[in-house]
Amino acid sequence: MTDAPPTGAVAVEARGFGWSYRGRERPALAGIELRLDPGALLLVVGPSGSGKSTLALALAGLIPHAIPGTWVGRLVVDGLDVAATPAPVIGERVGVVFQDPETGIVLDRVADEIAFGLENRGWELQQMRARVPEALALAGLAGFEGRRTANLSGGEQQRLAIAGALAPEPGLLVLDEPTANLDPPGMAAVFERLGALAARRDRTIVVIEHRLDAVLPIADRVLAIGADGRQLAFGPPDEVGASVAAELDRLGAWVPAAWHRYLARPVAVAAAGVPIRAPIGAAVGVPIGGPPGATGVGAVVARAADVTVPDRTVAAGPGRDILHGVSLEIRAGERVALVGPNGAGKSSLLFVLAGILRPSSGGVGVLDPGASPAGSPAASPALSHVSSPVPGPDGDAPLADPARMPPRRVPSALGLLFQDPEVGFVGRTVAAEVAAGGRASSGALLERFGLQGLADEDPYRLSRGEQRRLSVAAACASAPTLLLLDEPTYGLDRRATDAVVAMLDELRAEGQAQVVATHDPRLLPACHRVIALDIGRIAFDGSVAAFLAAPPYDPPDPWRAAAAGGVDPAVDR
Amino acid sequence: MSLLPPPLEPVRPGLLRTVAPVTRLTVAAVWLLVAFAGIDPRVPAILLVAAVASLVFLSGLPLAGSLRRLAPLVLAAGGIALLTLLVHPSRADPSVPALIDVGPLRITGPALAAALALALRLAVIAVSSLLVFGPSDTTTFADSLAQQWRVPDRFAYGTLAALRIAPFLAADWATGSAVRRLRGIARRGPAARVRDVGARLLALLVSAVRRGERMALAMDARGFDAGRRRSRFRPIRLGVRDLVVLVTGFAVAAVAAAAGTLPA
Repeated sequence: MTDAPPTGAVAVEARGFGWSYRGRERPALAGIELRLDPGALLLVVGPSGSGKSTLALALAGLIPHAIPGTWVGRLVVDGLDVAATPAPVIGERVGVVFQDPETGIVLDRVADEIAFGLENRGWELQQMRARVPEALALAGLAGFEGRRTANLSGGEQQRLAIAGALAPEPGLLVLDEPTANLDPPGMAAVFERLGALAARRDRTIVVIEHRLDAVLPIADRVLAIGADGRQLAFGPPDEVGASVAAELDRLGAWVPAAWHRYLARPVAVAAAGVPIRAPIGAAVGVPIGGPPGATGVGAVVARAADVTVPDRTVAAGPGRDILHGVSLEIRAGERVALVGPNGAGKSSLLFVLAGILRPSSGGVGVLDPGASPAGSPAASPALSHVSSPVPGPDGDAPLADPARMPPRRVPSALGLLFQDPEVGFVGRTVAAEVAAGGRASSGALLERFGLQGLADEDPYRLSRGEQRRLSVAAACASAPTLLLLDEPTYGLDRRATDAVVAMLDELRAEGQAQVVATHDPRLLPACHRVIALDIGRIAFDGSVAAFLAAPPYDPPDPWRAAAAGGVDPAVDR
Repeated sequence: MSLLPPPLEPVRPGLLRTVAPVTRLTVAAVWLLVAFAGIDPRVPAILLVAAVASLVFLSGLPLAGSLRRLAPLVLAAGGIALLTLLVHPSRADPSVPALIDVGPLRITGPALAAALALALRLAVIAVSSLLVFGPSDTTTFADSLAQQWRVPDRFAYGTLAALRIAPFLAADWATGSAVRRLRGIARRGPAARVRDVGARLLALLVSAVRRGERMALAMDARGFDAGRRRSRFRPIRLGVRDLVVLVTGFAVAAVAAAAGTLPA
C-alpha cells in the first residue's frame, strides 16, 4: 500500500487561496496554503464558522462557478486551476458529500440515485449496471439497490450520499461532516468505511469533521483554520497538533484526545482547587446518576401515558408503530437524555410532548405554569377548565393537554428546539429571532452564544453552527417550564457546546425540566436520567451509569465505545 | 420525522403499471378532450365508467387510498354541480318545463343535464389524473418524458427535483404552524390568521428557494446538465402493451364521442 498510488487519485494544491461571499464583508477563507499528494487523506479542523464548508464547495468547483463572491489566490485540483476551469471539468474529478444528505437526494430508489451521477457523465448502461452495486458495497450498502431513498435511516442516507459521490470514481472525495446527526452505529459504520477507503489510497480524500478522534489516526495531513477563516497550520497531524492545539482550544474548537498532550494547561487548577474549565457534566453541578429520589427532583411537569403513534407509510407495513405504549414522567429540575438509533422515535416523542403530533391512543399532559403561581409549580391549583388533563398523582398539579393549551400560555409552558434549526426561525434578523421568545435580554443572550456581531444578519444566511447556536439562544429566551431539545449540540464546536450546556444548567437550576434527544454521548454525563427508545418502545429508563454499563441495543458496542470517547475531552487533561 | 400523510403507491400488479407513463398521459389527454368537447352527459359518463374500471382492475392502486385521494375532488365536483343546478339560465325561462318547482327552487331538465355533465367531467379529470400519475413513480415519469417525448433533461429531472422538494415544503408549513404556536406568535381569530398567512407564505417561499438552491448545488456537484449527453440507466421502450392501451383508450374515447351524437 506504500507503492505509488493507482492512477485516478489527484493532487490538490492551494496558494494563498481565499474567498468572500457576496454581501459579506469578512472573507470566509483566507491565506490557505496546502499541498496534498494523490491518495492522501486531509482532515480539516477549526471552530464553527471558520469556512470549512466553503473549502469543500471550492474543491468541488461550486465556488466560484455556482456561488457568487470574490476569489483570491490559486486552488489547483489535478493540475487544473479551479477558478479558470469550467465547473463540469472539475466536477468530473471530485465527489462531494454534503452536511445534510437528505436535501441532496434527487431520486426515489437507491440504485437510481447512485446511477444519477453516472448518467450525467454519459456512462454506458452495462458499465452502470456493474458499477452501481460496487459503489453501494464500497459505502457498506450492498443489496440496497431496490430500497426507497426516503425510507433509509439517517446513517444509511449518509452512506448513500457517499456511494453516489464514489460511483463515478472521482480522484478526490470531499466529505463535509459525514457523521453529523448519526446514531453511534451509523457513525461507526461511516468511519469504518472511511478507513477502508483511505487504506486503498486510490483517491485523495478531504474530511471535515468535528469528531476528530475517529479521523485523526487515518489522516496524512491536517489543515487547521481559525475563527476568522485564516489558516493556522497545515502539515502532518503531529506537527499541526504541536503547533496549534492550544490555539484551537482557545478558539473553542474540539481538540482530539491525541493532541491533549500539546495543551499548555493540563488540568489547570485554580487556587480554590476548582478546575478552571470543568468538564461538561461537572460544570453542570449534577452528580452523574441523578440525585436521591431516583425518579427526579421536583413536581411532575410532563407525563405521557401509554402513548401510541401509528406509522402510516406503506413501507412500514401493518402494525408498525412510530411510538408504542410509551409512558414516562418528567420532573421539574430534571435533565433527561432521550437516546436511541436513528428512527427509534425520539423526535416523535418530543413532538407528542409538545402537543404538535397527536397520539392515536394514550394521553399527554404538561404543566401549564400560566395557570399556577410562579415558582411553585407543585402548588398550582387544579386546572378545571382543561378539557382532557392527565390526572396527576396525589400532591402534583393536574397536567394540561399541550395541544389544547391557550396559545399565549404555550411559550412559558413549552419550548421545542428542532433538529433543523432553520424550520424554527420566526424572526427576520438574529436579534429579532431571540427577542421573539421574550423574557431574557436578547443582547446578553447573543453575546453568550457568540452571535453579537451577527445581530442584524438574516438567520437563514448564517453557517449551520451559527444557526444552531441561535436556535438554542431563542429557545432559552422564553425560559419555559419544559424545554424539549432535538440534537441541540449537533455540529457545534466545543465553545458553543459549553455555552449551550451552561445555559441549560442555569435554566435547570431555576427548576426547568429538560428532555434532550441526542446522539452526542458527551452530553450524557450532564443528564440525570436516560430514556432509551428502540423501535418506538422504551427499552430503558434509569440512571446514566446503568445505561452506559449495559446499553439496551444489539450490538451494544458502538454505544459503549461512543460513550467512552465522549467522557474524555476534558477529563484527561 | 414528517407530520404528513404518506403518498399513494400501487400495491398490486396492473397493466397500467407496465406501460410507459407517456402512453397513459396520451390516452388521458384524448379522454379529456372528448369529455369537454360536447355538452351531452353521456360522453363523460362513459369515460368515467372506463376510468373507474381501469382504476379498479388495471392500475394496481389501493382502492381505499384512491378514494381518500379522490374525496375532496368529488366534494368539489358535487358543489359545482349543485351550483349549476340552482343558477342555470333555463331556470328563469318559463317555457322550459320544471322537474321540481317548490317556492324559489326551480330545477329544469336542461339544468339537471348541465349539472350532471359538469360533475361527470370533473370526475373524469380526477380519476384520469390518478391513472396517469398513480401507477408509476415520478422517476419513471421523468424518464419517459425524456426518452419518448425528448423533453430536455433539464426540464424533466429539474421538475423531478422540484417535486422532491414539495413534501419538504408541506412539512415546513406544518412545522411552521407548530413553531408559531410554540413560540407564542400564533394569532387567534380568522382575520389575524389571514394576515399571518401572508408572512408565512413569504417564509415558505424563502425556504423553497433555499432548498432549491441546495438541491441545485447537489445536482451540479454530481455533474447534472454539464453539457454532456446523459446516458440512461432505466431505458423505457414502447411495446405491445402500450399499443394495446393506446388502441383501447382511443376506442373508448371514440365510443364516448359517438354516444354524444346519438339522439337523446
